Amino acid sequence: MDVVVATDSLGHAYGDVVALHHVSVEVPAGRVGLVGANGAGKTTLIKILLGILEPTVGSSTVLGADPQRNAVGVRAKIGYMPESDCLPEAQSAADFMVYAAELAGLPPKAARQRASDVLTLVGLHEERFRQLGEFSTGMKQRAKLAQAIVHDPDLVMLDEPTAGLDPEGRDEMLDLIARLGGFGINVITSSHVLTDIERTCDWVVMLDGGSVLREGPLSALLDTTTVEVELFEDAAPVAEDLRHRGADVTAEGRTMAVRIDGDGSYDLVRDALARAGMAVRRMGTRAQTLEDVFLSSGGLEPGPER
Amino acid sequence: MTDQGVVYDLGYRPHEGPRLGRRAAIRATVKDGLRRMFGIRRRARKKVLPFLLFGVALLPAIVFVGLVFLTSQIATGDVIDTPFANHASYFDIAAGTVLLFCALSGPELLIPDRVEGVLAVYSSRPMTVFDYLGARAGALALGVGAFMLVPQLLLYLGFAALGGGGFLSNLVTSSGDLLRIAAATFFYLLAYGAPAFLIAVFAKRLAPATGVYLGAFLGLQAAADGFSSSGTRWAAVAALSDHPSIVRDWIFDRTPTQLVPVRAGLDAWVSLVVIVVVAVVTLLVAVRRYRSLM
Repeated sequence: MDVVVATDSLGHAYGDVVALHHVSVEVPAGRVGLVGANGAGKTTLIKILLGILEPTVGSSTVLGADPQRNAVGVRAKIGYMPESDCLPEAQSAADFMVYAAELAGLPPKAARQRASDVLTLVGLHEERFRQLGEFSTGMKQRAKLAQAIVHDPDLVMLDEPTAGLDPEGRDEMLDLIARLGGFGINVITSSHVLTDIERTCDWVVMLDGGSVLREGPLSALLDTTTVEVELFEDAAPVAEDLRHRGADVTAEGRTMAVRIDGDGSYDLVRDALARAGMAVRRMGTRAQTLEDVFLSSGGLEPGPER
Repeated sequence: MTDQGVVYDLGYRPHEGPRLGRRAAIRATVKDGLRRMFGIRRRARKKVLPFLLFGVALLPAIVFVGLVFLTSQIATGDVIDTPFANHASYFDIAAGTVLLFCALSGPELLIPDRVEGVLAVYSSRPMTVFDYLGARAGALALGVGAFMLVPQLLLYLGFAALGGGGFLSNLVTSSGDLLRIAAATFFYLLAYGAPAFLIAVFAKRLAPATGVYLGAFLGLQAAADGFSSSGTRWAAVAALSDHPSIVRDWIFDRTPTQLVPVRAGLDAWVSLVVIVVVAVVTLLVAVRRYRSLM
């Protein structure tokens, strides 16, 4: 596994408030989601990885370099889309993209070419000569993404990229983010909107209260462990029978959820239903969301945007 | 493909050329700073004041060279020492426009980046706080340099061309002036530029920052004059706008102009120390503030 970001017992405190507490993660190449409620420590972690903040304890590497000792070296290879505004209002989109590329060390001619390409990529080519101060929220978010990738970084960090967007704008932004991986750009997307992460990421790091709650491939985290059975009658007798035989069951009305513990679990459910002589209306694995995983891991409700 | 044409999707084209690193980032920041100060690639109204001020700073030099040309037609002789225009006194003519230019440019260089969150972009580029502040200071130095040096060069070349003894010979004879002009320009830059940066480091809006800067210069000047006249001699150090002229007189080895610190009996080195101290304090404060921001 190629590791793009690694942290070892990373910690940071703002005075008495601990923002990160011994965070140790290894983030692989690809599209990675950093999820957690507001205040979970996502932005603090990103700022440490950018070399803007110094950790109180611990160490980190980004693309093999230490951002505390070699911030300039790390920053030469990465892009960053902050959550807050970062666009000069009195400058045109085209001028700012060229400037953003030159700031990353691209020669002027290449910077102009990249600026044009990236503005086309994010759908702002037609608006390139308009001043950024005249842009709508959705256009600004796309311009922010454009400045983060205009220099073709190896890794781009996106902090709440869908903040403030309407559903259509959100869809467009998520599609763009999902495409970045195909361009050979590693992406770390920080968000408290778990559905956004489900749509765009292959690997997830969950933060809660400054600590790592869970991490791993999205497919493994969402791997379902529960079979849901809906009957035509009250499910309580069957549930009781299953409990009697050692199964982990919860029942409510005509529906019961049975925790799967190996292939035998399905046989157990089938036999219990046969004994009770009950017909099955629907049976299938329960679709698990990232929110289910987050909450079952002890995370605080990420909830709506605050 | 249709008979109307073909749409080619170029896809994503990665950058495979060189990456020029930190120096290129600093160079780009200086270039951006110059564009901001003069309103280049900005709306027309952003260009009006800086170019108007530049014209005001330059026009007297053009007039002086023209007058020297006319007088040289009337009577030959050494026109370089003509009393109505020489390098030292031209600083007095340009000082007012430079002060106004610094009042506009210092805030323009620092405030929008901070207020509009653009510092986050700099934070993700291969540059440090020192690089950013240094590049912005460099842009101000180039801008102020243009204000002071272009008219002076015009005078230098004009006088050399019109003076008796030949152009090249005059250039060589008066080459020492170039060093003195550069040194005096440097101290004007420090004296006027540093306070503009100091205010811009904290101010949130452009117009109030410009107002505070000009108000501070005028207020301190009046206070220094008042207190030093009533016996508090060292109050004269607060006459910030006088110090570069005193250092200029020192550099050009001229009889000191009767400015507030001179009237208070302060030596020229005091003015030099005040200028340097204000600049160093500005540097320390700016670095401290921006380290917490980027």
